[in-house]
Amino acid sequence: MNNGHAHILLIEDNPGDADLVRLRLVEADSNIAVSCATRLSAGLASLVAETPTMVLLDLNLPDSHGAETYRRVLEAAAGVPIVVLSGMDDEEIAVNAVHEGVQDYLVKGSFDSRQLARAMRYAIERQALLTSLDMSRRQQLQFKNEFLSHVSHELRTPLTCIHQFVSLILDGLAGKVVPEQREHLETVFRSVIQLRAMITDLLEATRAESGKISIQPHCVLIGEVIRQAVAMLQSTARAKAVGLEAAVDIRIPFVYADSNRILQVLANLLENAIKFTRTDGSVMIKAYLTESDPDFVHISVADTGRGISPEAKALIFERLYQDPNSVDDSRKGLGLGLYIAKELVRLHGGRIWVESQLSHGSTFTFALPLFSLAKFIAPVITQKGRLREHLSLITLELTPLPSFAATLKEVRQHCLQLLEPCILGDKDAILPALDHLGPVETVMIVISADAHGATIVERRIREQLERSDRLRANCTFKLSSVGLKLPAADRPEPVDKLIQEVADGITAMTVAALQRTQPPSN
Amino acid sequence: MDKPKILIVDDDPDLRRGLNLRLRASHFETAYAADGFSAIAMAQKERPDLIILDIGLPAGDGFVVLDRLQQSATLASIPVIVLTARDPQYNRERTLKAGACAFLQKPADNNELMDVIRTTLNPVWPGTAAAALPGH
Repeated sequence: MNNGHAHILLIEDNPGDADLVRLRLVEADSNIAVSCATRLSAGLASLVAETPTMVLLDLNLPDSHGAETYRRVLEAAAGVPIVVLSGMDDEEIAVNAVHEGVQDYLVKGSFDSRQLARAMRYAIERQALLTSLDMSRRQQLQFKNEFLSHVSHELRTPLTCIHQFVSLILDGLAGKVVPEQREHLETVFRSVIQLRAMITDLLEATRAESGKISIQPHCVLIGEVIRQAVAMLQSTARAKAVGLEAAVDIRIPFVYADSNRILQVLANLLENAIKFTRTDGSVMIKAYLTESDPDFVHISVADTGRGISPEAKALIFERLYQDPNSVDDSRKGLGLGLYIAKELVRLHGGRIWVESQLSHGSTFTFALPLFSLAKFIAPVITQKGRLREHLSLITLELTPLPSFAATLKEVRQHCLQLLEPCILGDKDAILPALDHLGPVETVMIVISADAHGATIVERRIREQLERSDRLRANCTFKLSSVGLKLPAADRPEPVDKLIQEVADGITAMTVAALQRTQPPSN
Repeated sequence: MDKPKILIVDDDPDLRRGLNLRLRASHFETAYAADGFSAIAMAQKERPDLIILDIGLPAGDGFVVLDRLQQSATLASIPVIVLTARDPQYNRERTLKAGACAFLQKPADNNELMDVIRTTLNPVWPGTAAAALPGH
């Protein structure tokens, strides 16, 4: 069989069949150890305990039948070759098994020792080949990723040098610059910025491909993210005399998203839109709710540019895609931006698409999941299918001290640990982190208590927080509590509607708190 | 009032020179070091108001420097801005955790760098901190 000692795991419940296979195995090769399991559970346990050279598997066992049997073994024993022993009547299942990754099958009662040995040898050889192919594919992918990551890092150093010295000259720190020189240097500078963006995209696309992009979703006010994106791109639009406007439906509740990543997606879409729109055209960004897609917010970027052909539309979100008909005088990019945008939206559980007609502009739209506070708080604010009689909201605001030596995220994490013993899991709920726009971190807790009960919980929290040296070294905190106004108990509406009403009330208070702690926007 | 003194730690001589010119033009006094070991020695000798620190350095990388600064009773209070070509995804949190005040990736926008330097030297809390907004 092989040079070493082969260990075969035989999973077979029929003692007669098992003995026969054992006999054939010994006939084929005396240097073989066979262990036998009569149930799938025992077979799986044995697989975990010691990896055999291969598995011979009967499909119909006392605790598993048919396709389920081989699927579970495949799952438990990645990389171990499996040969299925089928009966005359389940040969079809055996054929399917081979499609799904089992190496071979033999029909019971119709093979001799030589055929068994041959099937086993090939099974082992093929599996070894597959394993090595898979490993080399992984190694290549890893090498490619490391290479790109290394290259993008190394390219940054000389680029930094060019950036540094060109900007020194441009800023007049190396003597007077005549207008023509300034114009040329500004061209160099723009190219440096473009190159920097390309290097960033290169690394980002590599990460997207290897699944290494992480997102940290919070409850986000999408209007705020859109405002930032517009502020970022306003000067680019103005320089090209392209109008840039935003319209956000103010009824949009919180979106559950990573605001930095969404800003990245928006900036990319806006940049493209401005790039492909002629002077005096316009770019419009909208956020709206649709009845047909009630759990999502739709965000669209519409331009009055030259549009996208149907062929290009099918490929536009693919990696390295560049419009071959691009006649624009602006330079092409790497063709990674929309691919990255698509991956980022997908990681949020959303989707992105484009509608366009040649010479009538394009509209890129993406959908992001809305945060449902009602769903989140329903279990704690109801009891036996009815709204609780009393509910309160405790607000904790953490303000970092000048000596602040941690990230806000860490402080929040630490704070949540401290809060844990103060609240009851089935009656109180800490709301998910709000995307902090300013230097204050806000933690909100819904508790099932009246205003008096709330002050008791508030005191408990205060004592607990004051005990933490670490928190005191980093922040000051402010606690407050307020009883929630609840819908009258005798109202006939379904409880879902009442929960929604409570949730809307909390949302309004949260938005107010957020606006209070946020620095004035300019 | 005295000009604030900034210690530049970078192993690339051109980058040191460029940053030095930029900072002096912005009325800072400067000193520099080219490796992790001399970074600590210079910090002790010069007592800068701020350190701009690269990560990839010979003789003790940026993390080692951050660690030594934190351990020193006299140097722990000097704020550090990390300025590196390295990937923020893996290094931003790590450097902030190690004691840095800010993380910027090279090449950084000059305005952004100056904003971060100013807020680091004159922290205003709370509410009005001009945290580096994108797009500046």
